[in-house]
Amino acid sequence: MALKLAREGGHPQPQADQSHSPMAIRGLTVSYGEKPAIFSVDMTVEPGAMTAIIGPNGAGKSTLLKAALGVVKPLSGNVTCWGSPLGKMRVRIAYMPQRASVDWDFPTRVIDVVIMGMQRELGLLGRVRTTHLERAMSCLSRVGMEGFADRQIGQLSGGQQQRVFLARALAQEADLYLLDEPFAGVDAATEKAIIAVLKDLKAKGKTVVAVHHDLSTVRDYFDRVFLINTHKVSEGPVETTFTEETLQSAYGGRLANLPKGAVG
Amino acid sequence: MSLTRRHLLTLAAAGLVARPAFAQDRISVVASTGMIADAARRVGGDLVEVRALMGPGVDPHSYRQTRSDIVAMTRADLVLWHGLYLEAQMEEFLLKLGRRRNVVAVGEAVPEAELIGHEDYSGKFDPHVWMVPELWVHVVRAVRDALSDVAPDSVEIFAANAESYIEEIARLGDYARDVLQTVPEPARVLLTAHDAFGYFGRAYGYEVLGIQGISTESEAGLKRIRTLVDLLVERGIGAVFVETSVSDRNIRALVEGAAAKGHEVRIGGELFSDAMGEPGTYEGTYLGMIDHNATVIAAALGGQVPERGMDGKLKAGM
Amino acid sequence: MIWEALFLQLGYNATLVTIGAALLGMAAGATGVFLFLGKRALVSDAISHATLPGVGLAFIVMVALGGDGRALLGLLLGSALSAGVGLLCVSWLTRATRLSEDAAIGAVLSVFFGFGIVLLTVIQSMTAGRQAGLETFLLGSTAGMLWDDAVVIALGGAVVLALVVLMRRPMAAVAFDPEYVAASGGDVRRIELAMMGLAMAITVVGLKVVGLILIVALLIIPAVAARFWSERVGHVVVIAGALGGAAGWVGAAVSATAPNLPTGPIIVLVAFALFLASLLLAPGRGVLAAALRHRRFQRRVHLRQGLLALAQGQPIYEGLTLRLMRAAGHLRPDGVATEAGRAQAARALLDERRWHLLRSDPRHEAAAARYDGLTPLERVLTPDQIAELDRALRPEGIT
Repeated sequence: MALKLAREGGHPQPQADQSHSPMAIRGLTVSYGEKPAIFSVDMTVEPGAMTAIIGPNGAGKSTLLKAALGVVKPLSGNVTCWGSPLGKMRVRIAYMPQRASVDWDFPTRVIDVVIMGMQRELGLLGRVRTTHLERAMSCLSRVGMEGFADRQIGQLSGGQQQRVFLARALAQEADLYLLDEPFAGVDAATEKAIIAVLKDLKAKGKTVVAVHHDLSTVRDYFDRVFLINTHKVSEGPVETTFTEETLQSAYGGRLANLPKGAVG
Repeated sequence: MSLTRRHLLTLAAAGLVARPAFAQDRISVVASTGMIADAARRVGGDLVEVRALMGPGVDPHSYRQTRSDIVAMTRADLVLWHGLYLEAQMEEFLLKLGRRRNVVAVGEAVPEAELIGHEDYSGKFDPHVWMVPELWVHVVRAVRDALSDVAPDSVEIFAANAESYIEEIARLGDYARDVLQTVPEPARVLLTAHDAFGYFGRAYGYEVLGIQGISTESEAGLKRIRTLVDLLVERGIGAVFVETSVSDRNIRALVEGAAAKGHEVRIGGELFSDAMGEPGTYEGTYLGMIDHNATVIAAALGGQVPERGMDGKLKAGM
Repeated sequence: MIWEALFLQLGYNATLVTIGAALLGMAAGATGVFLFLGKRALVSDAISHATLPGVGLAFIVMVALGGDGRALLGLLLGSALSAGVGLLCVSWLTRATRLSEDAAIGAVLSVFFGFGIVLLTVIQSMTAGRQAGLETFLLGSTAGMLWDDAVVIALGGAVVLALVVLMRRPMAAVAFDPEYVAASGGDVRRIELAMMGLAMAITVVGLKVVGLILIVALLIIPAVAARFWSERVGHVVVIAGALGGAAGWVGAAVSATAPNLPTGPIIVLVAFALFLASLLLAPGRGVLAAALRHRRFQRRVHLRQGLLALAQGQPIYEGLTLRLMRAAGHLRPDGVATEAGRAQAARALLDERRWHLLRSDPRHEAAAARYDGLTPLERVLTPDQIAELDRALRPEGIT
């Protein structure tokens, strides 16, 4: 049933011109052992838009991002960015992972984490110049964390840590931002700060794709949605694609109430 | 069956039964060190089949018996070991084996009055008694007695073999004393890798110094090296000696240390301290081992020695 | 005597050992930081134990080829090869099977080491070759350090240090957040292998100094000790190098002064002493500092609570609070408040009220985040802002 829907897609999808798409994914399949996490997923990211990847738990949302970037090895599939293979375009792509995978006792300060985002530019000896420091500080002030530059990261609250990792992604000065659950478990202030940064990115013409868990804010924050439940369910603008029908088929009837903003 | 085949079968059967009588009568002896094995072969002659556990270059202080060693020892008619805590790692096993098999610690036949005691532990002795032929004679006699216990019929043969062997050893002892006396008194300092030459020093009036202690199990301390370097330089000692069964690294460090103080020390030669030379060579026998040691030491420290040893049998170029 | 030892006045051998041990300690300390931070400390133990069969095989091969089996370079090469194989085995076991890393490490460590011991026993029965001294690879034999050994250690240590400096940022990034590095296109596997390769190089170089059993101590203890002193990776690396070098230096010096002290184990003990000192005395993360901080904090909290209780006319029950209040001059010995005490109490209450107002005002979110129950508001807001708050508190006008 889900497969059928993927092909029909709810509404006819114009095949976006791939050479403009910051990321075009074709037939991506990932499995852990014998169980498929995502199966033959196609996705075409619209340039300059903010896209939310949504779906139930275990739908493969994080896996989709990780496999697209090569963090996880896919069984099959092809990823092109602006018409070229991913490997050549990494310089223009920034990634913000979920918070969990980090050692919080690691001896690194907030400013050092942001500088990690500039690794490529640091040269053979890894010397950090004043320009690098200035750029790092400005990324920190964009997320409101400039006062914490000297703190060891374990001393921050969850939301503050999340903002630092966003700053790290910003430091890359990329054109495409892939964020994995940027709003998960953060306080209201952090959420406001982050969405402000993302909207600012969009205003500058950057593309943002975020795995998102809170259906009630999809309409306010995002322009497009990509629904997935191991298979792609639907993809398109929020107005037309964030509907009861697509949500029910993605969540398999697990939705108790329609989230606010969904077209009933 | 055809006639020829029957013949062959009979011959084969006869061959199986008619094994040479003496092969079954040979006493199987397992000896721990090569020196003891050598003594057992000389005393037992054709009547014994001897196997040594430790070959050339093997350190008896750290030797651990292998599975095949254990099998050989449990099957042997007689097990001969040194004792005096030389085979430190095997001692427990040998003592246990001694309760059910013929196991004799021949090194302990040396009268206690003639043993050098350990300076710190009473009841413990320096085991390196083979260095002095006069002491080793006690061990040879113990081997003779052990073999006689196992094969009482051959007592006379063993006694005769032992006597003639002891005569050779006595000759060796005289030779050693003679050449070692030719070294001028102030030069009579023997510095080796470990304290294996205590009896040697006492018998021939030499001062002996080892970098490591009586057992090679103890690691050499840096302070000891320093002390010895100072001593070498102070006393103007010209030669030090490496051993075949111990790493020569510490000795080489001594040489470098002395050189840094402007004093050149040569490595006077390689001594057989705890093991003999290659089996099949003269140095691979007890006589050759002691002959070699005495000759090399005397020559390196400035004595008058025949170049090829007691009977000219030593390897050239030592 | 110990001073002379520390200042290299005790002769050639002691000096050589001291400098060699210090260089090894420095390189090992710096390298070990990345193992420790990347939670791979035990892998280095597996590597060092995996060198043993290589040493044995190298000996057997060299003797079979007609040599005497003692060539140090051959033995070290053999040790490096088998350590490399061991490392690849650990890596493969964790990737291809369901084994967790510590199980893989344990398996490789014991199998390789056991095989090495078997080889040593086999060598024991070999008549050819000069086998004496092979067992010193287990615990090292520093006393007999030669000029050649010192050169190998110095060169090897220098090369490793240079590589550590060059690769410090990628290695730190991988240890911290390997997923991010992978996503940014970094080759995480290659960087991890490089890290372990450096550990292997240190192991091989240090085999003769401290032996394979103890080299892991020299890799890990300085790193762990250094962690107490800094929150910046670069600094931790430098401090670990310094501590490792100091352990080598002092350990060698100590073993040169007293008889019968094996140098390798003494160096490890000195390293441990440095670790203990760091654990106790480091200003930030040290146990003593933490205890003092905690006591200070506890006193401030008690005083604050005491003042607030005083201001609100509530009785104070806790003995510690009463004692502190009396000591600070807020209370008289009989428990009645002093003038100064009452003034302080009033100030504390005002401060508390101001904070309360601030925290409910969404405009002051950033400042509100600084509330910890003790910091006076004067430190967070300007006088104008405080005046504005006061007006909100007393809307009827200032009295």
